Amino acid sequence: MSRDLISGLFWLAIAIFFSIEGLTHLKLGTLHQPGPGFFPFWGGVVLGLLSLVLLLNSLKNRDRLSLSGLKSSKFLLATGAILAYLLLLETLGFVTITFLFLFLLLRLEYKGWVFSAVSALVGAVSCYALFQLWLKTQLPAGPFGF
Amino acid sequence: MEIFQGLLYGFQVVLQPINLLYCFIGVFIGTLVGVLPGLGPAAAIALLLPSTFAASPVSAIIMLAGIYYGAMYGGSTTSILVNIPGEAASVVTCLDGHAMARQGRAGPALGISAFGSFIAGTLSVIVLTFLAPSLAKVALSFGPPEYFSLMVLGLTILTYFARESMVKALMMAAVGLLCGSVGVDSISGRYRFTFGIQTLMDGLGLVPVIMGLFGISEVLLNLERGNEKQEIFATPAKGLFPTREDWRLSTMPILRGSVLGFFLGVLPGAGAIIASFVSYAVEKRASKYPERFGTGAIEGVAGPEAANNAAAGGAFIPLLTLGIPANAVMAILLGALMIHGLQPGPLLMKQAPDVFWGIITSMYIGNAMLLVLNLPLIPMWARLLRVPYAILFPFILLFCLIGSYSVTNNVGDGIVMWVFGVLGYLMKKFDYEGAPLVLAMVIGPMMEEALRQSLILSAGSFAVFLSRPISAGFILAAALLLVIPLITRRREVAKAWTSVPKEFAE
Repeated sequence: MSRDLISGLFWLAIAIFFSIEGLTHLKLGTLHQPGPGFFPFWGGVVLGLLSLVLLLNSLKNRDRLSLSGLKSSKFLLATGAILAYLLLLETLGFVTITFLFLFLLLRLEYKGWVFSAVSALVGAVSCYALFQLWLKTQLPAGPFGF
Repeated sequence: MEIFQGLLYGFQVVLQPINLLYCFIGVFIGTLVGVLPGLGPAAAIALLLPSTFAASPVSAIIMLAGIYYGAMYGGSTTSILVNIPGEAASVVTCLDGHAMARQGRAGPALGISAFGSFIAGTLSVIVLTFLAPSLAKVALSFGPPEYFSLMVLGLTILTYFARESMVKALMMAAVGLLCGSVGVDSISGRYRFTFGIQTLMDGLGLVPVIMGLFGISEVLLNLERGNEKQEIFATPAKGLFPTREDWRLSTMPILRGSVLGFFLGVLPGAGAIIASFVSYAVEKRASKYPERFGTGAIEGVAGPEAANNAAAGGAFIPLLTLGIPANAVMAILLGALMIHGLQPGPLLMKQAPDVFWGIITSMYIGNAMLLVLNLPLIPMWARLLRVPYAILFPFILLFCLIGSYSVTNNVGDGIVMWVFGVLGYLMKKFDYEGAPLVLAMVIGPMMEEALRQSLILSAGSFAVFLSRPISAGFILAAALLLVIPLITRRREVAKAWTSVPKEFAE
């Protein structure tokens, strides 16, 4: 499967979703009085047609470019860490989760235990000081009050 | 005379100490962002947008604009000293700039790019000063049909300059339009594509989307690429001032680069990157000794650096006069103006003259600050470049997380950023570009409103877009741009892109 084929199918599915949703749920309205579904429907149609062009081209050209490095464990770890940060932010509080996040990612690139722990702590505390105390951003507090 | 009154008024605004401070912070952060590879101006401005909520609109926009043109200055430092572009528009500076550094001429290379940037930046602001008010007046006569056609043309130009296939760029523009329709429909008040999720009720946030597409995905790609050790040239021992001979060689390239850069900057999507490449090509062709290029020709530094700065000035034209952003950075500035309750477009000059003239005059001051700031601080920037990416990237991610959270104090926006981060990563892998998506997402709601209003006006007839002469002109130009590639395959655009390393495509 070429890259254009995979991505073309993906966007085609998105296009069909938006068009159907625009047509059935939101209603097109009339040309005199276009409704809320008018623009998404036609946007979906345009995207769908373009995806078809891409799909046809990819079948004709048969480029078999391989996807390099998609299986990278670093990618999974980093995206996982970002998601975990967001999900735990309001339960653990800003300072705790930030410390854990920085520590994990610094360790990921093979920095020493002590170095990672100290930098993560300094980083978390100084961000707290910068954003919460100075810039007055409302960062979520955890069970310990920070 | 109106213009001089405006300028005078603008200087009164900018010279207030608080605005001078914001301008300084802006250009300083901009230089920092430009110096650091792996964090571009779009992501940086999105990141800092929430921190300007408390400031007055003028101060906020002055600072955010400063980040943009400041980054153009900073990028050259990294290109010359490390041979990695700190920022996409400085890719071409690596070629001759780094060659000069290897010959021990890093000083004049850094010097000429700072002076070239200053001259070009100032020239483009002068043109902006005189052009913007008259263009805004023309735009006042535009009705919904003209606006719709103009936006169609804008998106077409954007995709015409795309690096990858035009079909893919058009697809991304369509995806952006669909993304823009998420949230409340401004005409009927109905919720669209919100799936009952609170965060989506106000539409997809521009800040999280941009930080995802340009910030998070960039970090993910860099992590995978691994970072090889680079040789960093020590702070130049010799003076930063170019010699008389250097100046003789550089004057024309700087002037040509300024003109080129300005006009390419005005066009959507073309912007600073293409401007710098076109300038390099032009200088090489104009030179009597083209073989010197690539081996440390100072013209190859002066021209492109001037061009990318002039482009940064030109990019403000469509935003200030039409309310249509020319690139991702302008899209965030548009968002910033709207957050502060201002409507960018032809009326901005009348409704908020302090902002309109404040932005323009702040660029005169900002460019002067950058010249003073950049040269003496180069040793500091060079030291900063020694911080390894392994230490830098967790903090870049953390700042993105804090930034996305603090827009609305809502974890949902962080999730949106995460989704677009992963999407952006996959898009790079599959050769799609993020810029058309972002721009289309921003102008999507405006375009939809203009389309629906036009149809209501014309009682449902699409002929309205062709029967009004200005609108017809825009549509015709767009149609031409869509047809030309079928015949000639956009050879010039492809040529301009071939020498840009892929990772700097944004």
